[in-house]
This record gives sequence, structure tokens and C-alpha cells, in this order.
Amino acid sequence: MITLAHVNKIYQIDGEEFYALRDINLEIKQGEFTAILGPSGCGKSTLMHIIGLLDTPTSGTLLINNKDITKLDDNELSRLRNEFAGFIFQQFNLINKLTVLENIMLPTIYSAKKYSYEPKTRALELMDRFGILIKQKSYPNKLSGGQQQRVAIARALLNEPKIILADEPTGNLDSKTGKNILDLIRELNQKEGMTVVLVTHDREIAESCQRHISMLDGKIV
Amino acid sequence: MGILLSIIKTSLSDFDRNKLRTFLTSLGILIGVSSVILLVSLGVGLKNYITEQFENLGSNILIAMPGQIFGGDRQMTGGNFSGITFTEKDYLAIAKVSGIKAVAPAYVKTVSVSFEGKTEIGSYYGTTAEIFPMRNLEAGYGQIFSAGDVEKRKKIIVVGPKIAEKLFGNMGSFVGKTVKIEDQGFKVSGILKSKGGGGFGGPDFDSFLYVPYKSSPKINQEKKFSVINFQADSETVIDTVKESVTALLERSYDEEDFSVIEQTQIQETVTSIFAILNGVLVAIAAISLIVGGIGIMNIMYITVTERIREIGIRRAMGATRRNILSQFLFEAVFLSFIGGSFGLIVSLVIVFIGSRYFPLAIDLMSVVVALTVSTTIGVVFGVLPARKAALLSPVEAIRYE
Ligand SMILES: Nc1ncnc2c1ncn2[C@@H]1O[C@H](COP(=O)(O)OP(=O)(O)OP(=O)(O)O)[C@@H](O)[C@H]1O
Ligand SMILES: [Mg+2]
Repeated sequence: MITLAHVNKIYQIDGEEFYALRDINLEIKQGEFTAILGPSGCGKSTLMHIIGLLDTPTSGTLLINNKDITKLDDNELSRLRNEFAGFIFQQFNLINKLTVLENIMLPTIYSAKKYSYEPKTRALELMDRFGILIKQKSYPNKLSGGQQQRVAIARALLNEPKIILADEPTGNLDSKTGKNILDLIRELNQKEGMTVVLVTHDREIAESCQRHISMLDGKIV
Repeated sequence: MGILLSIIKTSLSDFDRNKLRTFLTSLGILIGVSSVILLVSLGVGLKNYITEQFENLGSNILIAMPGQIFGGDRQMTGGNFSGITFTEKDYLAIAKVSGIKAVAPAYVKTVSVSFEGKTEIGSYYGTTAEIFPMRNLEAGYGQIFSAGDVEKRKKIIVVGPKIAEKLFGNMGSFVGKTVKIEDQGFKVSGILKSKGGGGFGGPDFDSFLYVPYKSSPKINQEKKFSVINFQADSETVIDTVKESVTALLERSYDEEDFSVIEQTQIQETVTSIFAILNGVLVAIAAISLIVGGIGIMNIMYITVTERIREIGIRRAMGATRRNILSQFLFEAVFLSFIGGSFGLIVSLVIVFIGSRYFPLAIDLMSVVVALTVSTTIGVVFGVLPARKAALLSPVEAIRYE
């Protein structure tokens, strides 16, 4: 489903080249649950951003469903972000001036998708499933961390993406809440066959996953 | 559809959150738009006023006067600019030209006029009875003099209301009394109704002392005239009449020593002077619109910076660059449109109240222009900040603290 070949991400820092990612070769298959493990600063988020089309590689190729995405224009990239990938961030990244329901419905605003379902019904179902239905009219900053992350997951799932990219989704949560969120993501993979890439610091969690990849200094080891 | 609604909703909620800021930003445009509209309506009002004043002075009127009017002094009450004066012979010859309805020559002189020991300075206007119908002058008290009175050399006078008020104070009861001009007594035959005007370059018929030209050999011994007013039968013959009179006068005078002009020419000159002045003022006011636009640009840059994270989130959810651009452009246009609309309301109110005291007139055009201009300003000054927002890379925006 996703293929990275010889992907480099280079930043110019004080005139010197800094490799945030160096020669990444990776394939992610449909239905897989992949964990990415590595110390802080090793390039995990950078990799996730590239897979999620929020960032572009400096060199190398990224194929999504065998299509080279470096040749896509802004409209096509935006459409893939909207329909193909569901992003879950460590910092939740909800818009505080929108209600919970509006946040979850955000992807529909920018969607050209032909919905086979009523998006609002799906939003309510997801909220119900994640136990945040009563919070639909609240604002995100009035919610607990765990609740906010559930909102973010519901938002990521609204447009029925093909892949969930979760970048340290439990990093801002206590361990009990974190486990809860992780179970939720696992369940998506196991029950619905959702493809998941999960970034984590936690070796134990990573090893419990179907597949895990370790990174160090921008390289896969 | 969904996107448009969301753009409007987002803008409104944003303005709602920053009410004071929205108000202050729109205020710049408000002031600019209302000052432009007010000055334009002052210009339109002034033009209408001048036109009205001149129309009040009679239609199809031409004036023969000494000197070259459009080369020098624009006062049309006459004066010996070139040294020449017209004669009774000229007057009678002009009266015979075909296409002319009425002729009123005038000898104009500044004199002191006294009544019961009170002395005022006035303009002596030795003329024929035709001046009154030609210039739409009517008696408010007593009566105007007739052609017969002129032939009989009656020592009578018709007094303009302005000078009458100075001389007599309470006017009506002075008809029939005698005023003295240069030791000559004239019986007051009538006092004219006020015409107003005189302030915008036209002659001030309210302050003249009208005397039959034949009645005062001492004041005007040779029966000369400083100006000859005449009226064409209709607008269509004005040009022919003008040519005939010019040709006629050229037999006696050098062509550079006199001019024959249409009253409308004077009106146009006066109007254009005011139009230029008004144009300058409007241009100055327009600068305040630009300043208002810069205010909008400034606030939009701040707004974009404050919302970088939000922009990143929206991009991650599938918003295109164009979506982000539209969002911020819409907000800028909306801000200036609000300013423009309120500016329009403010100026309408001021025009409504002020038109009682000043010649102000609003025209639909300035309303359309105000709204178009303020919207355009929103686009022009909003496009740079909006572009900045649209060009942010999603990852930079989402990592922004
Ligand atoms: N815009 C940038 N300019 C320069 N260097 C950058 C930029 N973005 C990221 N980096 C660098 O790239 C490296 C990888 O960053 P990244 O965020 O991917 O790390 P990470 O593995 O996600 O770390 P963490 O576990 O702390 O989230 C870091 O050293 C970071 O400083
Ligand atoms: Mg990271």
C-alpha cells in the first residue's frame, strides 16, 4: 500500500546538511500494524509526516497504491490527506474554538468524497463508541487528555481512511489512559482490518505489535 | 457549499471573539468611505446649487462686455477692463438683430447712496426695463419700472433687497420715498424679491440699484454702457445670435477689446473650478482609505500568525491552499465591507442632517462606488496575508508553537 524507497529528508542547519531521514526503505502492507520505535530526535515524526503527506522527502520516492506522490499537485495531495490518511497526534491538534462535533466533522468540509453514509451520523456513532457523545457540544479545552485524544481518533476515522498514522498518541496521557487509547487503536486494526502505523517510545508496546521497526539517527536499524 | 458556509461561520466566530479588534480595523475603512462619500456629495450638491443659481438668472442669456473674459477677470458685472464702453447706438443695433428677444444694457458704477442721513455703498445699474423679465427679477414691494418710465426719463429707482435692507431696515414702507445718489434724488418705485446667489461667481442682482438709463444724465452723461445683456429667442439660435452680435460690434471695436459670452460658459467655468477643488479633497480623503487598507493588512498578518497551528490542522484534514487562501481573503474583504457599509450609513445620516445647512446631495453612484471600493481594498490588502497563510507548509504549520 505504501512504499518508501531511498527516502532522505535533509535540513540545512547553519549551512550544513542534516539528515533527519537517511535512505529509508520501507513497505507497509494493507491491514498491517506497524510500530516505529526509537529515541527522541531520531526522525520518527518526520517519517510519519512524509507518509501522511504533510511533508515531502528531499529525495527518494514515495508510492501510495503504486502511485508516485511526488508528481501530485496541491489539490491531489490535499485529497489524499483528506481521504487516505487519518492522523493522530501526540498534541491532539484539535481546534479549540470549534465544538467537539465540529472538530470531528472538520474533514467533511474539505472533502470531495461521495459519502455512502451520512457523515454526521457516523460522527455521532464514533463518539458513542468512544464514550464522548455527551461532550459533542463542549469545546476541546474543557475535556481531559484522554477524551481529547478520542475526539482526535474519531476525527481521523470520519472519512473512512485507508491508514491510521498515530504519532505517539499516548505521549501526553497517563499510563492508564494511554493503555485505553492504545487498546482502542488495536481494536481498529483487529476488528476492522485498519492499517496502522504507530510511533512509540515504549519498547514493550512496540514489541507487542505485529511488526516493529527501530530507528536511530534518521535510519532504520 | 459546505466550504463556503464554513468559511463564513469561521470568520463570524472569529470576529465575534475579537469584537474590539474587528471594530477598530473596520473603523479605518469606515472613516475613509464616509469622508469620500461626504466630499463627493458636497461636490454634487455644490454643482446642483450653482446650476440652480444660474438657471435662476434667466435662460439663453448672452453678455457683451469689454475685455477678454476668459483671459482675465471673471466678474461679469462689468468694468472697463479694455477701456472701451458700449454706446446707446450699439444697444439699439443689437436690439434689431434677429433671434434676440430682449436686450438690457447696463452702466455699472459703484456709488454711495443715502437715505435720511444714512449712507451705504451700492452698485448703480443704469439699464432698461427689459432687465427684469430677462433676469427673472420681480418686485417684492411696489413695482419695477417700465419701458415707458425709461422713455419719460423718470427719476425713479428699483432697489435690490440686500442694499434695501441696509438702507431701510424694515422695507415695505419705503416705497415712494426718495434716496440720493451723487446729489440726485430718485423716488423708490419698488424693492425686488431676493434671488440669493452672487456668492458663486454670478452677478449679485440683490445688491444693485436699478435706474432707467436715460434718467440720470449727471451720473452717466454719454449714455455709455459697461455691459450689454441680451437674451436669445431659444437655445438653438444662441450661436447665430452670438455670431451676429460679435460681427456687429467688430465694426466699431477691435475684436480683442470686447467679448460676447454665453452665461452657461461662466457657469461651466465656475462649476469646473469647484469640481477641481472637490476632486483634490476627494483624493485626499481617498488616502485615508488606503491607510484603512493597510490597517486591515496589518491585522490580517497578525491573525494569520495567531492561527498558524489551526491552518496546519486544517491542512492535515485535507484543506487545499486555495481553501486557506479563500478563508483569509474572505475575512479581509468582510472586514473592509463592514467598514464600507457602516461608512455608508454614517455618511447617509450626515448628508441627511447636513443637507439642511449645506448643499449636499447623495447619488446612487457613490453608494455603489463606496461598496465596490471597500470590497476591492479588502481583496488588495488581504491577498498578501492570505497568501502567506496558504503557502505555509502543513508540517511547519502544525509544528508551530
Ligand atoms: N524544520 C526543521 N529544521 C531543522 N531540523 C528539523 C526540523 N524538523 C525536524 N528537525 C530535526 O529532525 C530530527 C528528527 O525530528 P523528529 O521530530 O522527526 O524526531 P522524533 O523522532 O519524532 O523525536 P520525538 O520522539 O522527540 O518526537 C530532529 O533532530 C529535529 O531537530
Ligand atoms: Mg516526534
